[in-house]
Amino acid sequence: MTKGMRTRIGLYTLALFVLTGCERCQGDLPCDTPDCAPAATPYTLEIPPFFPPMDIPEDNPLTVEGIELGRMLFWEKELSADGSMSCGSCHLPSAGFSDPNPYSTGITGAQGFRNAMAIINIGWSPSFFWDGRALTLEEQILEPVSHPDEMALPWSEAVERLQNSEDYAARFAVAFGDETITPERTTKAIAQFVRTLVSADSKFDRWRRGETFLTDAEFAGYEIFLREGGDPETTPGGEFGGDCFHCHGEAGLQFSDYLFRNNGLDSTFAADAGHAGVTGNPLDSGKFKTPTLRNIALSGPYMHDGRFQTLEEVVEHYNSGGVPSTTVDPFMKYTTGGLQLSAVQQAQLIAFLHTLTDTSFTSNPAFQDPH
Amino acid sequence: MQSPSSLFVFGLLVLVLTGCDRCNPEPPETLLGTARMNLELAWGDEPYALEQVVTDHNGYPVRLDNLQLYLAPVAFRIDGEWFEGADVSLIDFSVHAQHIESTLNAGTYDAVRFGMGLPPEINTDIDPASYPNSHPLSVIGSAGMFWTWASGYIFVKYEGKFALESGTQLLDPVSYHCGTDASYRTVTLEFPEPLVIASETTSTLTLTLDAAKALNGTDDAIDLAVDPVTHNAQGDSLGGRMMDLLVDAWQINVQ
Repeated sequence: MTKGMRTRIGLYTLALFVLTGCERCQGDLPCDTPDCAPAATPYTLEIPPFFPPMDIPEDNPLTVEGIELGRMLFWEKELSADGSMSCGSCHLPSAGFSDPNPYSTGITGAQGFRNAMAIINIGWSPSFFWDGRALTLEEQILEPVSHPDEMALPWSEAVERLQNSEDYAARFAVAFGDETITPERTTKAIAQFVRTLVSADSKFDRWRRGETFLTDAEFAGYEIFLREGGDPETTPGGEFGGDCFHCHGEAGLQFSDYLFRNNGLDSTFAADAGHAGVTGNPLDSGKFKTPTLRNIALSGPYMHDGRFQTLEEVVEHYNSGGVPSTTVDPFMKYTTGGLQLSAVQQAQLIAFLHTLTDTSFTSNPAFQDPH
Repeated sequence: MQSPSSLFVFGLLVLVLTGCDRCNPEPPETLLGTARMNLELAWGDEPYALEQVVTDHNGYPVRLDNLQLYLAPVAFRIDGEWFEGADVSLIDFSVHAQHIESTLNAGTYDAVRFGMGLPPEINTDIDPASYPNSHPLSVIGSAGMFWTWASGYIFVKYEGKFALESGTQLLDPVSYHCGTDASYRTVTLEFPEPLVIASETTSTLTLTLDAAKALNGTDDAIDLAVDPVTHNAQGDSLGGRMMDLLVDAWQINVQ
């Protein structure tokens, strides 16, 4: 080998090294996650006006094909042991993607002990389930398929069923880069779909955008919603309001602070410890995640156990104050007397809550059963 | 002379190396150091953890379940001049190891100053949705600490339960939510010994809040039996009283 050849080889090697090394410092590598899917089409979720950004997990970016696969899987009854139930069986679009029954009935006839939570703008939530036992959407979705009181299908069998479908194999291949089907990929796809379940076109939204007007009763209800509760003569800051905004605040138009609170339903918690069942802290007893009020008129029955059938009953609960306990939320500070709203004020508050109904969301063709 | 192909490769190398330089991180600033201020909670002279039952100045058993507050901004003094550190911090005493880190020029500092609450320019009329979710003023980051666009953020949330007699269940609410521009306070604390910030090192301070002093100070005291609740979105006097009491509730130590 001549000196010139050795020099050239050395330079080529150095060039290769430098080029490879330089690639590592570029931020936009095309495929840097375990489930990268070069064939899938990136999907940009449109964030509605006044909404915060949605944090999408880096290892599960939204894609057109992933979302469509997720919709197929969300409505796939073969993900239940007897082929009779899908996610959508307990999360009905017409009910704000919740269950109109207090407790959902699984394939064995067994019932849960909490109301199925409404799936609305859930992509913004930092925790899942009434008790917050899941911290990611993907983790939450893993549970119902194999839960014996729900869809009761072991994940190994669920994967096998999907693998036997040429259509699903092809869809997974496009969405995730190859035909491998796993529980993780299945939940990722469903999570992608669920993150697109965005409700932002209620009458209230249109009013906020300056596109319509609220009626006098609706606007009066909105003011009650935003006012502090209590008699100003006896309660500093009291404004004879509904005190709703503290937990169901309008920040980011989420109508939930996603925190865990005891809203004075019970004085003992043997039947359901709530968040304490997750944290192990007795002072979290009776605390449940604050649900969004979006589509609240459609998503009854209400509370974690579906004990109230109507919004009138819900408002009456707060109006009478609930029951005291060692963990009741400080916002339920009127347990001895309640908010004491008049019948007219209660009706106005309910009129406002109806303005949060978004039928373009519940009837959106992109969210319905594709099977 | 090398062959043309070698020259080409050499030229390519120069080009690539020059291009690659653009994506290298900025060289470290050698004159900057870090002040790490650890936040601790006390009740009187004793360390305090939330959910402990203690006794207030009137003898009422009290349990704090939630104590959160905004500190914004933090500044440090050197030779009579203030230099700003961390801008907005939400302190949540239910979370372990709360601290505030400030990047400062190397030097010897003799005092710290911080705002309790949020200065008016970032308190109202700013949409929380405009912040990234990791920001303490964002919708998610401020969960439970935001009133409305008009009234702004809750500066201090001091919540728990108390009873009028010891030995009984703690059922009565303690619920102070202090806020509004008029309630913004500034606290200045002289260091008992100088804080030396050396370049590329972290110096540690401990900032202790005596939660008992939120109810009982030298010039004022709040009686839970009379005033257990304030949500002063409209700026009632009780919220302002607690903010005044809190100004004198802090202690700083340099480690």
